Amino acid sequence: MTLFGPLGLSLAPYIRSSRTLRRWIKPFADWYVGLAGYRKVGLRYDDLLVEERDDVQRALTRLTPREAYDRAYRFKRASQLSILHTNLPKDQWTKPEEDVRYLKPHIEDVEKEENERKVWDSVHVERK
Amino acid sequence: MFRTSAARRASRLARNFATVVDTAGVKVAAVDNGEATSAVTFLVKAGSRYQNKPGVAHALKNFAFKSTSKRSALGTIRESELYGGVLSSSLSREHLALTAEFLRGDEPFFVDVLSSFLTNAKFTRHELQEYVAPVCESEATAAAENPASRAVELAHILAFRQGLGAPLFSTADNHVTVDYIKDFASSAFTKDNVAVLGTGVSQETLSKLVEQSLGSLASSGSLSSPASTYFGGETRVDSHHGPQTVFIGFGKTGAFSPELAVLSSHLSPQPSLKWSKGLSPIVAEIPETASGQTTEDVKAAGKAAVAALKEAGNVKGEELKRAIAKAKFAIASSAEGRNGLIATLGPKVLSGAASTLEDTLSSLDKVQASALSQATASLLKTKPTYVAVGDISALPYADELGL
Repeated sequence: MTLFGPLGLSLAPYIRSSRTLRRWIKPFADWYVGLAGYRKVGLRYDDLLVEERDDVQRALTRLTPREAYDRAYRFKRASQLSILHTNLPKDQWTKPEEDVRYLKPHIEDVEKEENERKVWDSVHVERK
Repeated sequence: MFRTSAARRASRLARNFATVVDTAGVKVAAVDNGEATSAVTFLVKAGSRYQNKPGVAHALKNFAFKSTSKRSALGTIRESELYGGVLSSSLSREHLALTAEFLRGDEPFFVDVLSSFLTNAKFTRHELQEYVAPVCESEATAAAENPASRAVELAHILAFRQGLGAPLFSTADNHVTVDYIKDFASSAFTKDNVAVLGTGVSQETLSKLVEQSLGSLASSGSLSSPASTYFGGETRVDSHHGPQTVFIGFGKTGAFSPELAVLSSHLSPQPSLKWSKGLSPIVAEIPETASGQTTEDVKAAGKAAVAALKEAGNVKGEELKRAIAKAKFAIASSAEGRNGLIATLGPKVLSGAASTLEDTLSSLDKVQASALSQATASLLKTKPTYVAVGDISALPYADELGL
């Protein structure tokens, strides 16, 4: 079970559930996203997830062909910008409404399925 | 003591579904002969003739027992195996059948498994890609490699075009998506399209379980298929696996015709005694030395079949009685055993007809020689369906066989 990183334990659901906390912390979170700079090279947050993991690989196979193609395109564009040591022009930065967590639901499904398999593999059976 | 009790038990064996109960709009019929295991079949009018896009029915059949809102695919399989049950799904041109066989007492779980596919299957895209599509592809390839099933498939297309002529199998070229499957499922899985048949379960238990689980289904759907029309035609297909195959057919649409059943049993080359030549007029014409491997043998067999068919209208007397008896036995034995009972009487239950073979058997008894020759003559007037699968440069054409 992952502890740290974007796929690990997080206070975000708790903060989102409370209106006061959300009001105070959201601006700070938005500033941090801008500072991280991934939107300036045209990437989404889920493009940053570590993909050298079995569960993320399984989740990647569940993307639609269009989603997979767009992801590959974003990587190619960001790699080229990295070589040129520049960012995209401001009008081409990823917009907040485009920065959708497209991979997270698939990773959660995969984790749920793997846990279910572990349960079934170690279940104790009794005939009623 | 033992003999009388066995006789009493045998006379109480139920051979058809005695009552069909309408449970909340779904037809439920069950018969209990005291077997050790039970079986429940959900028969749905979702055969290939009702599909709106080619290959969707086959994909839907292979989607059975994958994830639903209640259980994942893995959970369904593991839990069924722990109970010791067997799940299967099958598709014909008319019906989709979902079957669960299990030990007595496990009815609630297995009826729930079957009905959750009807009510809340998920049809996820990744399951289609990973599980369903490869199975569809392999089944379609296996059917295409077998010349006999390929010939029958082509014969249906030629004979009926739409409806019954729709392809039974789904290949990758059909590009079936989960949206097509969801559409088809939502229009096919309605209360008036489903019949629940049980063997080894009591009628009350099954009705109660069905009422609980299928209560949420829609009442009536939009699935329809126009009445079949027979066209006929000729085609030849190149094939290099398996024996040279020729399909010769004449068609008539409509209800079951006892005269044609008698004609079929008269001509059938299946002998009543194994390893004997049999009394079929077709087999009588084929020379003893024919090996059945070459196209010449196939041509001779085809000519014999057509000649026998043209003569078959003149059957009378002893030959007619023999043919009637053979037809009666074939139909009566088709309802033997659990699978036969469901396969033969299930569609009758679903269509609301009387779920017994008595009428069919008594109509066979009443077949006269004149009615038989009339039926044969009108059948031969229709356009023949001719399919040749194999070496197309050597296999005969329809007119070479006298069609």
